[in-house]
Amino acid sequence: MFFHIVLERNMQLHPRYFGRNLRDNLVSKLMKDVEGTCSGRHGFVVAVTGIENIGKGLIRDGTGFVTFPVKYQCVVFRPFKGEILEAVVTMVNKMGFFAEAGPVQIFVSNHLIPDDMEFQSGDMPNYTTSDGSVKIQKDSEVRLKIMGTRVDATEIFCIGTIKDDFLGVINDPATA
Amino acid sequence: MVDHYNKLVKLMARAFYDDLTSKGDNQPKTGRTDNRGIAVVVLDALTRRQWVREEDLAKDLKLHTKQLRRILRFFEEEKIITRDHRRETAKGAKMYSAAVAATADGHPTAREGEEKVKLHTHSYCCLDYAQIYDVVRYRLHRMKHKLKDELEDKNTVQEYVCPTCGKRYNALDALRLISFEDEDFHCESCNGRLEVESDKIASQEAGDGDDNVRRRRREKLKDMLQKMEVQLKPLMDQLSRVKDLPVPEFGSLQAWEARASAAGRAANGDINAADSKMSQMGYNGASIPYSGDTKVVVDFNGTEGKGEGIKSETESTSLKVLPPWMIRSGMVLTKEQRGEVKQETKMDGTSTSITAQHTDDKKSTTEQDDNKSLQDEYIKAYYAALLQQQQELQKKQELLNTTELVDPSSSASGRQVGVKSKRDDAEDDGTEWEETPIGGNGNGGFKVADLNLNVQAEEEPPADEEDEDDIDWEEG
Repeated sequence: MFFHIVLERNMQLHPRYFGRNLRDNLVSKLMKDVEGTCSGRHGFVVAVTGIENIGKGLIRDGTGFVTFPVKYQCVVFRPFKGEILEAVVTMVNKMGFFAEAGPVQIFVSNHLIPDDMEFQSGDMPNYTTSDGSVKIQKDSEVRLKIMGTRVDATEIFCIGTIKDDFLGVINDPATA
Repeated sequence: MVDHYNKLVKLMARAFYDDLTSKGDNQPKTGRTDNRGIAVVVLDALTRRQWVREEDLAKDLKLHTKQLRRILRFFEEEKIITRDHRRETAKGAKMYSAAVAATADGHPTAREGEEKVKLHTHSYCCLDYAQIYDVVRYRLHRMKHKLKDELEDKNTVQEYVCPTCGKRYNALDALRLISFEDEDFHCESCNGRLEVESDKIASQEAGDGDDNVRRRRREKLKDMLQKMEVQLKPLMDQLSRVKDLPVPEFGSLQAWEARASAAGRAANGDINAADSKMSQMGYNGASIPYSGDTKVVVDFNGTEGKGEGIKSETESTSLKVLPPWMIRSGMVLTKEQRGEVKQETKMDGTSTSITAQHTDDKKSTTEQDDNKSLQDEYIKAYYAALLQQQQELQKKQELLNTTELVDPSSSASGRQVGVKSKRDDAEDDGTEWEETPIGGNGNGGFKVADLNLNVQAEEEPPADEEDEDDIDWEEG
């Protein structure tokens, strides 16, 4: 699920950036630093959308670096149990398949794949129904439901299922 | 109370431990060595005992000690029994046998050759009812859960196990487990190839087969679940029955021994075991708050002092009402133990007391449903005796009056008795027995024949008492 929230961060800026563009430099450095990171608490930071407030800088002794407390708005993505996501399959093996929904990695184990789909090994390992009409392989797009999440301080990993109504392949690259 | 729990244990034994074999699996089972069901026998035996020394149990069951011990160890692991081991001398053993002698089911045979025991390690075991209740519930819960999960494919987090080092992972670890050499999952510590943990009941024969197999598996599971519901119904019923009952608690071996032998000693050895068993369960040893009450009665009798010391002593050790099924012929019991309600104190020889008596009777009947028929007969006998007493009563009345004259406030004391009897009713089960000693101690100068009678009760003739006794014995 996406959230638009305000976060705060202490940015350290090298003295060489001081000048007319200090603020721009600060913002671009902020974006470089936080976008794409993941915190267990808020999820993945997708994009910084604005700066709320930049506090007074504090010059560090010895280094000349200046620390600015920056409040910024950002979009975060946090997967939840039970959430339905669309994801791209990245890897298929006999244990199941891995998929990515943006920054989130999701593993779907083979017993959460519908019973009528079977693993076919080979050059392009895939899960196929007995009549061959549906095929899950690398780069397939699937809709899945998150069954569990593992949230560490800097990492979120999910397991999902496609064994439910309206879940499964939504766009097969082979046929599209 | 214990009965319900014992029934639970028996049902559980038959449900879960019926086909338990104590022998290792490597031995071929012939007809002779097939000892299935022995676990049930052991558990049943334990329901009839409290703490028991394992050698004695083995002897009683005609089992080899080692064999029994193996079973008991298994039950200990299953958290069904508690065991206690201690090195003890002959003295310690005696302490135990004293305790055993005080319990209802102390088996006389178990005490042979006690004297020659010299500092050996002895093991004792006892059912742990509280834990059994939980264990059974947990077991049922797990069974149901597992079947349901499998039926609905609900245990979503697939588990993987490393066959070489036994380390377990689940699907949430999947990202760390994929190796780049091949597509399998590999163990983090030993790099062994992980296998899907299949603790499924029905998946054994059904591999990754076709639809047909899957459907059959589902049906099988459903069937299993249903069968479980039906077959374990008695057990579940018993569980719910037992739910609100207090758990019989024997305490640790030491505590139990102390209590049991104390109770045994207190009963002077002639009241046997059943009492001490009863007193162990409900009785916590410190119910002397009644000594104040009884003093009132004693005062009224005008014979205070003498009886008190003895009384309070006997009180502390005394005597619960025995359920009728526990009364066997040959037991020396007081009436209170048989569950008869005392009327002595409530009769002070006036005609009004008779009506009071009736209400008392009624109350006591409601209180003791199981004694109802007995109570009826008792009433009949009582009326017969009452008529007969009416004549005697006059004489006694005179006698009583003389004593009351001695007492400075005779009318006041008369009321006092009324008050007293009411209070008796209120706390009936607690107070009933407390008066026995008064009678039994023979502290009355006015005693006629029966020692159990109080002064106020003299109008109740001994013959009456005998009647009750007879009825009691038959019913019991």
